[in-house]
Amino acid sequence: MVDDQALKEWFCREVLPLERALSAFIRRNWRDAAEVVDLRQDVYERVLQGARHGLPAQAGRFVYTVARNHLINRAKRARIVSFDVVVDLDAISGSDVLEPERQALAREELRRIQLGLEKLPPRCRQVVLLRKIQGLSTRETADELGVGIDTVEKQMTLGMRALANFMLGGSAKVQRSRVPGLLARRPAR
Amino acid sequence: MTRAQDIEAKAAEWLMRREQPQWSEADQAALAGWLDESIAHKAAFWRLEHTWQMADRIGAFAARDNAPRPRRRSLPLKWWQASALAASLLLAIAFIGLHSSPTSAPQPRADTFDTGVGGHRIVALVDGSRIELNTATMLRTMISNERRDVWLDRGEAFFEVTHIENSVFVVHAGPRTITVVGTQFSVRREGDKVTVAVLKGRVRVEDPLRGESSAMTTVTPGDVAIGLGSSMMVFSKPIAAIEDKLTWRDGRLVFAATSLAEVADEFNRYNHQQLVISDPAVAAIRISGTFKASNVEAFVRLLKQAYGLKVESAADGTLRISA
Repeated sequence: MVDDQALKEWFCREVLPLERALSAFIRRNWRDAAEVVDLRQDVYERVLQGARHGLPAQAGRFVYTVARNHLINRAKRARIVSFDVVVDLDAISGSDVLEPERQALAREELRRIQLGLEKLPPRCRQVVLLRKIQGLSTRETADELGVGIDTVEKQMTLGMRALANFMLGGSAKVQRSRVPGLLARRPAR
Repeated sequence: MTRAQDIEAKAAEWLMRREQPQWSEADQAALAGWLDESIAHKAAFWRLEHTWQMADRIGAFAARDNAPRPRRRSLPLKWWQASALAASLLLAIAFIGLHSSPTSAPQPRADTFDTGVGGHRIVALVDGSRIELNTATMLRTMISNERRDVWLDRGEAFFEVTHIENSVFVVHAGPRTITVVGTQFSVRREGDKVTVAVLKGRVRVEDPLRGESSAMTTVTPGDVAIGLGSSMMVFSKPIAAIEDKLTWRDGRLVFAATSLAEVADEFNRYNHQQLVISDPAVAAIRISGTFKASNVEAFVRLLKQAYGLKVESAADGTLRISA
């Protein structure tokens, strides 16, 4: 059994850099774009479950296999979903290994953090900066900005999530809750 | 919200709460419990934690990094001025007329002023301006007919600048360029971190490497600008809050629901008798009130009486405050 600390280090070092490739792979092979985030989270869950019994030597290959199997299983299980939800089961494709983001130079990485911050909505960015640059607590940030602590907490968590999405290769869109429902989940095509 | 987003939101909440001063052992145990509930929780939490820690580096840009900066986009707010990889912080009170003719001025006059811990000193400059030095402060001045320069080497000072036609007043302090157009403002320097609070007049914030016209933002009374490393931000405060931060000018410290940790830091700036708090729960206690900066004893007495805290003199001469 791999202990949590080792598992976490491996996950951050080997798996998270694959996020952009993994998301692209899921998007390419699954019609419903609204489910990409859920599917990715499922893959992470299964990857960690597997890796617990021994860290795989090749993270890229391992994550790819887990992702592919998961998409196939999901498609088979979801009988109600029409066939075209999965583009083509047999053709689930891509190279059979996911490539990590090329090791970014430290400078590039900083640039990415900066860009991610710039993309945050103004209030959100302000809260994140007060935390990161001044080290203010949420209470202090609320006092500083003259807003409620609830607002600060909300903005801070939205900022954390948007920053993670952007820095791992996504769009830095602030994820607000969507209206759930079957209609909303149907692909356009 | 989808299931994954649900978990992610929860993970973000944990991560945020863990950074707060009131985070306790019980909270830590609760977080461990939540993480152990499902490996999905771990995946989401580790992922956010990883990138959130990476973002710590925004304040840590190498000061002499010559890398090309990201192209400037039209930002929604002007105050966010990232990537100033600059030489020296420059606060220039640029009264109209930067173009003074080179005249045969008398010899410029150079002086050094400083205060020790707990010190407070008002300096009248030959041009009629006044500088009020707070505790543990050192600054140098160079006054000539065409320009007046002040280098704030450490500490904090409040400036009241006399307007003189064709003579700029410039304060240098740290790793970026800020231009102030105003008459009453304070500058506090702690290493690379520079805080500018404006009471009257205006502040112009500039990135010297970016050229004169491109990146400039004006900050008005009630605004506080903070620069650290290459980052720069400005936010608004009620004038009263700024005045609270300037009460050192008459030897008072004013706190409004300020954490004890911060209050102790503030007292430590003014006194040789240092306060030490190691218990995070005690450090998080909120203090409000007005205190004499030099009277640590009175403050400590209050902690004992009103808050029931223990205060012990340690072997190294510090006062240790505990529950």
